[in-house]
Amino acid sequence: MPELVWTPRNGGHWMATTGRLISHIFADYKRFSSRVLFVPKENGEHHQLPPSTIDPPTHRPYRALITNGLSPRGVAAIEDRIRTMAASLIEDLRPNGRCNFTTDYAEQLPVRIFMNMVDLPMEDAPKIKYWVDQTTRPDGTMNYADAIAALVSYMAPWTEARRGGLGTDLITGIVNGKVGDRALTPKEAAELCAQVLVGGVDTVVNMLSFIMLHFATHPESARELVETPELIGIAVEELLRRFPIISDGREIAGDMEFEGVAMKAGEMIVLPTVLHGLDENENPDPLTVSFHRSTANHSTFGNGAHKCPGAHLARVEIRITLEEWFKRIPVFSVDPAAQITFSCGVVGCVDRLPLIWDPATTSDAA
Amino acid sequence: MAKIIFKQPDGESVDIDARNGFTLMEVAVNNGVVGIDGECGGGCSCATCHVYIDANFIDAIDPPTEYETDLLECIVGYTERSRLSCQVKVSDALDGILLTIPSDQGLA
Repeated sequence: MPELVWTPRNGGHWMATTGRLISHIFADYKRFSSRVLFVPKENGEHHQLPPSTIDPPTHRPYRALITNGLSPRGVAAIEDRIRTMAASLIEDLRPNGRCNFTTDYAEQLPVRIFMNMVDLPMEDAPKIKYWVDQTTRPDGTMNYADAIAALVSYMAPWTEARRGGLGTDLITGIVNGKVGDRALTPKEAAELCAQVLVGGVDTVVNMLSFIMLHFATHPESARELVETPELIGIAVEELLRRFPIISDGREIAGDMEFEGVAMKAGEMIVLPTVLHGLDENENPDPLTVSFHRSTANHSTFGNGAHKCPGAHLARVEIRITLEEWFKRIPVFSVDPAAQITFSCGVVGCVDRLPLIWDPATTSDAA
Repeated sequence: MAKIIFKQPDGESVDIDARNGFTLMEVAVNNGVVGIDGECGGGCSCATCHVYIDANFIDAIDPPTEYETDLLECIVGYTERSRLSCQVKVSDALDGILLTIPSDQGLA
C-alpha cells in the first residue's frame, strides 16, 4: 500500500497509511492545520472547539487550561476512587455469571469518574454521551452542527455559574483560568468545557471494550496477566498499540509538495491511528498481542501539540480495570449466542459485548 | 530498549529499562520518577518535564523544534543542555543516558 492515498469518499481526502507519516503529520502543525479535524469536511467545519481546533502558538495557553487536573499528579489524587469504583462495579456483576460489558462496565467507569472530575450530575451523562456520539459516530438522528451547539449550550450555564468559584473540579479550573492576562469569554469557556466532554465520554469507554473482547477471545493472554499481574503495566501499552480507536485528521495549510505528492490548501488528510500500531515496520508481527515486545510504537494518543491530555488518566483507568477484573473474574468468554459487531467513525466502537463466566471460578478478592 | 538513568532533585538516581517508542516523560511518569510532572500530557505546552541531557548524548538526539525551543527559553534554569522530556523518544541510541532533573519545574 502507498504511504499516502486519496479517496473520493467522505467528501474526498488524503489518508496516511504508515506510522512514520501518521506521527509526523500529527505534529507538523505548520503544514497540517488543526482548524478542521474531521471528515467529511462540511461536518468537521462545525467542530470548532478550542484547544483542539487551534494551531500553535495560539493553542498553548488554551491547552494549559484543560490539562490541570488531568496531570499525573491530578490523576494520582483520584486513583483510589477509581479503584474503589472499578472494584464495586465488577463485584456487582461477578455473581451473575454474565454481563454486557459495554453498558455494564465500559460506559460506567470512565463516565462516572469523568462526571465526578467535572462535577456535573451523573443523570446528565446519557444525554452528554448521546450528543458526543453524534459528533464521533453520527447515527443520523441529529445533525453535526446541532450536536456541537447542544454541548456548548449545555455547558454555558455551568461554566458561568462557576466563574469565581473555589471548587476543585475541571470546569472551575478552566473558567477561572486566563489566556495571557485576560479572562476567558463565556463562549470560550463553554467551548473549552464542551471539548473536555467530547474527550471524556467516548474514548476509554470504547478502548476498554476492544481490550476485553481480546481477552475474552484469547484466554491464554488473559491467563498470562492473571498469573503475572506485574505485566499489566506493560500490557496496557501493548493494548493501546494494538487497539487504537481514533481516526481524525488535519487540513492542508497551503499548497505544497509533500512526499512527492501535490497537496492543495484546504484538502483534508485523515490519520487513522490504527495504521500506526499495526505498521509492521514499526512493530513486527503487529496483529499479535504480546506483552514481551521491546517497542511500543503507536500514535494512539496522537502526537505533537495536541497529544491527548487525558492519556495518563486513560492508562490508569485501563490498568486498574485489568487489575481488579482479573483478580475477581480470571476466566471469561464471549456469550456464544452473541454476535459481535462494530461501528466506525471518528471513534470506533464495539456495539455490544456480552460476556459469560462461571461464578464458581471467580473470587471476591477480599 | 535503553537504560535510562534519571538523577532526581534529591540526588538519588533511578535506572529504568525503557522500551523504544515511549517519550522520556512517559517513562518517568509511568515509573514514579520524582521531579518530572508532565502536567500537559506531552503536548509541549506546560514545561514541567524539563531535564538536562547528558553531554555525551546531545548528538544522539534530534535537536528541539522551534516550538519546543520557544518554550524552553522561558523556563527556570534553561541551558543549552535543556530538553522537554515529552519531546524525546526512547531509542537504542539512548542506552545509558543520564538525565538530570532540575529542582524546579515550569515557566520562569
